[in-house]
Amino acid sequence: MASEKDTLVIESADQMWRPNSRRDFLRLLGIGGSVVLLPSVFAACGSDDPMGPPGGGGGGGGGGGGAVSLNLSNDVGILNYAYALEQLEAGFYSAVLASSVFSSLSAEIREVMVDLRNHEVIHREFLARVLGPNAIPALGLNAATVATATANRDSILRTAEQFEDLGVSAYNGAGKYLTDVGNLLVAGKIVSVEARHAAAIRDIREALGAPGTSRFAGDDIINAQGLDVKLEPAAVLSRVAATNFVTTQISIGTNPSGTATADAPPPTSI
Amino acid sequence: MPRDATQMTNTQTILDGIEPEVMTTLVNRRDAIRKGATTSASLAMGLKFASVPLALAALSRDAYGQASSTVQDVLNFALKLEIFENELYKAVLGTSAVAAANTAFAPVRALAAAVPGAVATLQQLQKHETQHTAFLLANGAVNDLNLTGASFDFTGARGAGNGPFARATTELQFLLLVAQSVEDTGVRAYKGQAGNLISNKAVLEAALRIHSVEGRHAAKIRRMRRQTNPTLTSVKFSGTITGGGIAAAGAGNISNPPAAVVAALEAIYGGATSEANLVQAGRNAATVSGSALPPGLDQAPAAQEAFDEPLTKAEVVAIVQPFFIPTLT
Repeated sequence: MASEKDTLVIESADQMWRPNSRRDFLRLLGIGGSVVLLPSVFAACGSDDPMGPPGGGGGGGGGGGGAVSLNLSNDVGILNYAYALEQLEAGFYSAVLASSVFSSLSAEIREVMVDLRNHEVIHREFLARVLGPNAIPALGLNAATVATATANRDSILRTAEQFEDLGVSAYNGAGKYLTDVGNLLVAGKIVSVEARHAAAIRDIREALGAPGTSRFAGDDIINAQGLDVKLEPAAVLSRVAATNFVTTQISIGTNPSGTATADAPPPTSI
Repeated sequence: MPRDATQMTNTQTILDGIEPEVMTTLVNRRDAIRKGATTSASLAMGLKFASVPLALAALSRDAYGQASSTVQDVLNFALKLEIFENELYKAVLGTSAVAAANTAFAPVRALAAAVPGAVATLQQLQKHETQHTAFLLANGAVNDLNLTGASFDFTGARGAGNGPFARATTELQFLLLVAQSVEDTGVRAYKGQAGNLISNKAVLEAALRIHSVEGRHAAKIRRMRRQTNPTLTSVKFSGTITGGGIAAAGAGNISNPPAAVVAALEAIYGGATSEANLVQAGRNAATVSGSALPPGLDQAPAAQEAFDEPLTKAEVVAIVQPFFIPTLT
């Protein structure tokens, strides 16, 4: 039987976020002590109020209604952030395929749209399963905005370029906040696919007369050091909100643990 | 409910400050040590003597300070690949410092000039590889083999000049397949090294930003190949990679490819984690979408395309060594 000194009793989930409890928790882990989680801790953990790694806080939650608050201080929160973006992309491409103009698009563009829909749906569903009960709820999409964006070829391609470059920016900016190498690898596996998508859409738009040369990796997107775009989560979510695509309000409840870097944003006017 | 209490303040102790970040690592480390994995001697000693402060101090170095040798290795390795790519494109464009290389690629250069946009694309690729080389050098990478344009044999014969890739100097489609393979190798190489940079956030972010540029390059070349070979439908207009090994290269438009080239493509798109891999974080990505994708859709190709896969450093070295005259380590 462990002595009182070697036992830490956690009565409520909130206690875990307090410095003294966390320090004790760490100390006891180090010396083989006991940590007792009373039933009240689990009772406090609803499906929309997930527990993240110890000391890191939950990943998402605060959902319900029309709002989601992200705790970006741990991997669960960062993956939920990615999940939100993949939901946005998957929802958009699904709407493109269901739109009345889809059949009138060129064979090349149709092939690309089908591919992108498939990839983004797979990203979305994969992340949903990785997150399990910690996943944020399904985001609501603004039907009017979606209808406008899918009304014709040019708006479809412009929106796709915006979303793909935003996705690249987001993954490039958030990778440094992941603490688990397995999660970092998965994010890396996804971001290069988003970059391929972005290059394809940009190349298609160049052929259709969009201004710029070598747009697939144009000087508007790759800086003089040869580095791609990147945005911190707050800037990404601000852009997401500005698109008016998502009716669910996505906010940052807790900032990432770590130092933000200067943003290298994709152009807003494309 | 909000978890603002987890945000650090200036009044907290240093232990409070580092512990959220190291916690996962600590638990993983404990597991690793239990399983007999090697770890730093000081960390092992700290744990052996049940001294949390000692173990934590070692762990902090282990996870955030040290690793510098690993980061240095990644930087040096990335620099080698960037110099290789840069020198290849310079030779193709006729701007190499090695006159013989410019001469060798003159036939394919003339063919590229006849395809609208092809030269501009190659110039954009070369510009970025030059920028990447300069960036890496400015951020601590060391050209430890003193690589120059003269360090390469783009036929893949380590200096003999008669290797299996010689057709890239005279056939545009062969050159484009090589360029695609080089770019995809770059994507896979950076991806494989990301985990080794997790301790250095600045370098990690820069590497990710180079990595996605290489992905854009690869996608553009795949699109060029498809546009000039409309029936080559395994090469997707979306620029993504279907399948693994030789199938992922989409080499069906190359007549009688040398066996050594086929073997190279198998390695470039194969490896311990082939591009055909479907298992992501323990889940089969071909089945996760359930009814979210239309019934009847073959999800395996889509799931292969949706995730690019890493190569290990050893795999990359084996792939590119034939093009380097000096021995890579």
